Amino acid sequence: MNKNRKSSALLLATTMLVVLALSGCSGGKSAGNTLSEGNGGSTNSGGKAETVTITHYTIDSEDRTFVEKLIPDFEKQHPNIKVKVEKAPYEQFDSKLQTLIAGGKSPDVTSHWGYGGFAEYYNKDMLLDLTDLLKEDGFKAADYNIPENLMNIYKVKDHTYGIPVNMYVTLMLYNKDMFDAAKLTYPTSDYEDKSWTFEKMVDQAKQMTLVSNDIAKTQYGVDFTWSERDMRPLYFGAQPYSEDTWTNGGVPSETYFDSPEVIAAYNKLFDLVFKDKVSPSSEWSKSVAGQNGDPFVAGKIGMSIGGSWNLAGANDFPFKIGVAAVPWGGNDKVRSTLYVDPLLILKDSKHPKEALEWIKYLITTEVQEKSIELSGGNPPVNTEAAEAYYKHFDGIDPQDIKNVYEGAVNYGFESYNHLITNYSQINDMFINELQPVETGHKTVEEVMTTIQKKVTEIIHR
Amino acid sequence: MSTVRALSPQTKGTKRRRKVEPVKIFSFITLVVTTFLMLLPLFFMVSTSLKSKREMLKFPPTFLPESWQWSNYTEIFDTLQFGTLYKNSLIIAGLSVVGTLISSALVAYGFARFRGRGNQIWFILLLSTMMLPYPAIMIPQFVLFSQMNWIDTFLPLIVPAFFGSAYNIFLLRQFFSTLPEELFDAGRIDGCGEIRMWATIALPLSKPALATVAIFAFIYNWNDLLTPVLYLSSSEKFTLPVGMASLTSSRFRIPPWHLLMVASVLAMVPIVTLFAVAQKQFVEGIVLTGIK
Amino acid sequence: MINRENRRQTFYMYLFISPWIIGFLVFALYPILSSLYFSFTDYDIIHPPKFIGLANYTEMFHNDLFWKSVVVTLRYTFIGVPIQLVLGLGFALLLHQTIPLRGFFRTAMYFPSMVSGVAMSLLWYWIFNPQIGLFNYILSWFGIHGPAWLMNPDTALYALIIMTFWTAGSGMILFLAGLQGVPASLIEAANLDGAGRFRIFLNITLPMISPVLLFQLIMGLIDSFQVFTQAFVMTQGGPNYSTWFYVYNLYTSAFKEYRAGYSSALAWVLLIVVMLCTALIMKLSNRYVHYEGGGRK
Repeated sequence: MNKNRKSSALLLATTMLVVLALSGCSGGKSAGNTLSEGNGGSTNSGGKAETVTITHYTIDSEDRTFVEKLIPDFEKQHPNIKVKVEKAPYEQFDSKLQTLIAGGKSPDVTSHWGYGGFAEYYNKDMLLDLTDLLKEDGFKAADYNIPENLMNIYKVKDHTYGIPVNMYVTLMLYNKDMFDAAKLTYPTSDYEDKSWTFEKMVDQAKQMTLVSNDIAKTQYGVDFTWSERDMRPLYFGAQPYSEDTWTNGGVPSETYFDSPEVIAAYNKLFDLVFKDKVSPSSEWSKSVAGQNGDPFVAGKIGMSIGGSWNLAGANDFPFKIGVAAVPWGGNDKVRSTLYVDPLLILKDSKHPKEALEWIKYLITTEVQEKSIELSGGNPPVNTEAAEAYYKHFDGIDPQDIKNVYEGAVNYGFESYNHLITNYSQINDMFINELQPVETGHKTVEEVMTTIQKKVTEIIHR
Repeated sequence: MSTVRALSPQTKGTKRRRKVEPVKIFSFITLVVTTFLMLLPLFFMVSTSLKSKREMLKFPPTFLPESWQWSNYTEIFDTLQFGTLYKNSLIIAGLSVVGTLISSALVAYGFARFRGRGNQIWFILLLSTMMLPYPAIMIPQFVLFSQMNWIDTFLPLIVPAFFGSAYNIFLLRQFFSTLPEELFDAGRIDGCGEIRMWATIALPLSKPALATVAIFAFIYNWNDLLTPVLYLSSSEKFTLPVGMASLTSSRFRIPPWHLLMVASVLAMVPIVTLFAVAQKQFVEGIVLTGIK
Repeated sequence: MINRENRRQTFYMYLFISPWIIGFLVFALYPILSSLYFSFTDYDIIHPPKFIGLANYTEMFHNDLFWKSVVVTLRYTFIGVPIQLVLGLGFALLLHQTIPLRGFFRTAMYFPSMVSGVAMSLLWYWIFNPQIGLFNYILSWFGIHGPAWLMNPDTALYALIIMTFWTAGSGMILFLAGLQGVPASLIEAANLDGAGRFRIFLNITLPMISPVLLFQLIMGLIDSFQVFTQAFVMTQGGPNYSTWFYVYNLYTSAFKEYRAGYSSALAWVLLIVVMLCTALIMKLSNRYVHYEGGGRK
């Protein structure tokens, strides 16, 4: 009996010691950002004697990790700043970010590259207010050729929280081979051309749609995935969220999903599939797209409305493609969605000044131009660098891309997924609730009441 | 019509030797069909790995590649730091397997053989550690390893393995429980210490189980994605699954599925090798019931 | 005498299991206790946790998604696990005979378990593709028009269950190892006594491999209740919540909703339920499971 107790006690004591010893190992180094012990002769400017390391957190894929190639040049220009790139696959981006923050290892610079959006980060109090930092620095967006209206997207109540670095827009990609076969004229890229309307698009789509039992022969005229599901009514001029959403940091005081205008908008979209029959069902789309997520790539769609990131794969498409404007659908102010990715500094960053230097570096014209090549086609926000971007894609007229981009800036609205709080939950809910409508089992009217209720719940969490 | 039977691998000296039993024919056919179904997706994997990027996008997909792009298998080394990833995975999985085997075999033996005070309680505790899902302990575990300064090292991925893995302990405990008491009684009479008996009696008789643990532990570590993603920052330390995830991580590019398949095919090589080696333990070893 | 033997047993037991105990105290205790603590707090990960007592636990029972996830997970478990057991044992029995190409079959059937998760999802996406996938293609041979599988809320769950059958090779390996341990002498003796195949199976084989069976059953339950990756990568809980598994709900609560406290509560409810199931099975197993080491039945 005694021996028992003694040996267990001994064991327990030993383990306690082991635990203490191990935790003692961390003594000396802070659990925050590592400071590299100043290497001998850390700077040649004789200014700051201490070298500082900042962490840039991004997605582990070539079109994001290319920034590592820019680091040597940056470090040469800023000898007292070292940049480390921390990365994660898309699916783990948000959970790793949160875990890093919880574990005291918060990165300095990041963007909403996962499924979370700016508004989520803002409302969870993760972002540093950049206003004072920028004022001290004398930062002017114009110095970097960034249009003021883009800077305003990431301002909440006159405080800046993000600096744009990339901008995608909604555009139309069309399959030139399919247009040629149907003897149709190519759609225009000019946003001022009044003849390019939603109705005209449907008309042309009808002439390119062929549904047959042979899957290889089936093709559809148009695939209209304009922005995220909750934003689509905006295209036709219907507003699902109250105006204060855009100024108060993304918390709508009212939502209008069960209003007649919004319901009518959704019906018009679903008519493309069920009435006009020029669009594939989402099920068909997904089957054909496989995990690429886009049936246009498979050569089965005549016109595809989607994000300009689809351009990046342009050189691999087995058919000729063109770029056109999004047709006019009833909303004079909004025809395109803007996806402006901002560089953010996290609140727990220990080196905001140095982080800002890195951000400024990334938006200079030369670096933005270099980044186009290195990333494989990321669109810069710096309008001077944009010229290089327009020329980047073989076989596509740079003027078309330029028209589409400029049109988008004039007639665009920032994507809701960046602007509304708890957006990832809203999006998940939408996808699940709309699914029966996409398969034709329920009507828009039926699901909108549920959606309206659930959105309200989610927003108030 | 139950026709699945356990037959001794050696049915000697029975009248049935000459005739091929209908059971065996049925079994063989079933196995052929099942194997075919099991291997079909793998065939698709290899076929995709040899396609060009353009062909990979085609719909409907072609069965066999139109032109066999063996170059994909070298391209993977340019796209990813494939050699480094491979090496890192081998180190981590290899060490983990060694650690798991030794520690799990020790602990399982302890649970199986000795009816000490608290056996049930500790065993229940062991089982319960498997019942809390990873997302629930992910954050505090990270904080713990962060305090130990083990972030961006292989340590969180290897060291815990040397303290036993609940799954494998449970598994081996079941196997050790099937070893007859008499064996160990005889051993004690011969003057063997407990640890010697563990090493010289229990382990050799459990080779199939140990081989199984080795394979399972290797595969688990080899294919683990979540822990390397969380704990590794430097690219030079990344493992294969992390590298493969990066191929499909961009929302803005068409993922190179053909290269992903190349990586997956190549990733299977060590596992298949390990399995082949471990096969020897599965081969018609008639398990000794006799002592010594 | 008995006391000394007891002490000896205890001493050696602790000696052998000490590596695990140390590992548990160092690596597992803190995370486990933390998650228990979190379950009584409102914790958004970014800011420190705030104690709120049982609020998370009471909220659970009013939450739609919670109940949905329970139903989905139970269905997945109670359909999937028995079939997986039967398949694993069945294949092992098939392979435990002297038939040609045994080694090849063994390897081929285990192949699927060797494929990494990332590739697996892609493969299965294609296999279940409604238009040109393998599954519907084979069904068409029998004149059946296959459903949309992963894209249809009525069939998505079953598609995922079917996916698990492909890795039945894993269970097969274990059962094979178990079958190796059935003494040939017993079988031969029974044969000579004139016992039929079925009786041999029932009265000798099954009891002899019952420890492995128990293991597979318990682990099958534990794993099944925690299914997550496939839902995460392939269906994101859809379509229409049909694959909204319990741990998927747990994960989204923590990392999408920033509610790690509620998520921890979910985790502990899961733990308790699984623990109870396991305890129940273990109790029952005392009657049915046969351990050589514990003396003959």
